[in-house]
Amino acid sequence: MSEVSGSANLTAANAKMKLAADFKKKGIIIALLSGLLYGFYTAFMTLGMSKGVWADWYGANTTGLSAFTITFLLGALGAATTDSCSAVWALGFATVRGRLGDFFRCLKTKPGLMMVIGALIGGPLASTAYVVGLMKAGSIVVPISALCPAIGAILARFWFKQELNARMMLGISICFLASFMIAYPTLGGDAPDGMAVGIFFGFLAAIGWGFEGCVCGYGTSMIDSEVGITIRQVTSGLANLIILVPLFGMIAGDVDTFGLVVQSFTDSDAMIYFIIAGLSAYLTFMFWYKGTSMSGAALGMSCNGTFSFWGPFVCWIVLGVIFGIEGWTIAPIAWVAAVVMVIGIFIIALNPLDLLKKKEQM
Amino acid sequence: MKPLNYAILKFVTTVKEACADDVMAALEGEYSHFKAFSKPGVISALMTAEANGLLEETRFDMDSNNELRVYYHAHEEGAATINHYIKD
Repeated sequence: MSEVSGSANLTAANAKMKLAADFKKKGIIIALLSGLLYGFYTAFMTLGMSKGVWADWYGANTTGLSAFTITFLLGALGAATTDSCSAVWALGFATVRGRLGDFFRCLKTKPGLMMVIGALIGGPLASTAYVVGLMKAGSIVVPISALCPAIGAILARFWFKQELNARMMLGISICFLASFMIAYPTLGGDAPDGMAVGIFFGFLAAIGWGFEGCVCGYGTSMIDSEVGITIRQVTSGLANLIILVPLFGMIAGDVDTFGLVVQSFTDSDAMIYFIIAGLSAYLTFMFWYKGTSMSGAALGMSCNGTFSFWGPFVCWIVLGVIFGIEGWTIAPIAWVAAVVMVIGIFIIALNPLDLLKKKEQM
Repeated sequence: MKPLNYAILKFVTTVKEACADDVMAALEGEYSHFKAFSKPGVISALMTAEANGLLEETRFDMDSNNELRVYYHAHEEGAATINHYIKD
């Protein structure tokens, strides 16, 4: 399609090649960083939920919270606290970087509303499912939730008539095989209590984020990614706090939901980690959107999918090694499965033959 | 007033082809006070739209300042998608 105008201009051709290569390289680095930062988001949110008042809620439970409250209400509250901190970071960055006006303008448009719907599914629903999964089954849930690109590809096939060929199906099968490998220890009699439930919620998170990736992919092709992530984090934080937490509070019945919210936001021991988790969440989702829009959905999502490795790795470093919390080393089969899953994600996203062809052309 | 990214995409649907300088010249009056209104920002928005299949590159050359100039246009499907999602 492209041609050099007028006489052959080697300088222009070289400059054009450099511009394209730099743009692609930047997109890949940003998408890979989104995977790494996802690990920090997970680790610091988990750390926040083990400090201060959270240590009592999940430990001695001196206030006598019910099993439902501990599993679901606290899961939603952990996600709400992190997403609210993230929304504050997002609004702060949007203000400093001059995107606040476009944030409000985009909200009233069709792509903006698509982002809101994606954020509602990917935020309150998937994030809470993810937190419940983490609390029940630990970091093993991270690679399971990393099935989201595979699920996104299936949803995109049915909703947006996007391509789903034999190679992609092979990649999806590899991802499911890897998740079976991760779930394998729970099939025996010595599985930890609640692990199967935790893995189920990890799957729910993967479905929610697959939906979000699918829908928001359309949105961010038109909306500035910094504006897009502000819409996502503000929607998610507000919906968690205003809808999901009160809803779980009502279902739980005899619990002071407002009191729990106040305690969560005012506990300085835990809050410092939620603030860091919020910044990590802002960056990981912003880089996910930006990397995906710069590299194309397939490559962007596959690079982001490396969080199936970075998640358990960063949890192990931050929680296990630095903070000395036990239980964050995971079974060797899960490490192998995480790598298998990354291979599966790359097979979904990229045709190895195309890479070879490109190399030959160069 | 439209968000800056919307204005960039909409402008490209109204012309045969445009480079970043053309976009900036066309939108300067309304958007010059935007922090995000910079040449690298406009180039990034155009390249992102191209990566997502909304725009396609038509040609490139060097301008009088010896800077690369890449031209884009909205093909039929891309223009239809942009106009469907972004109303005037």
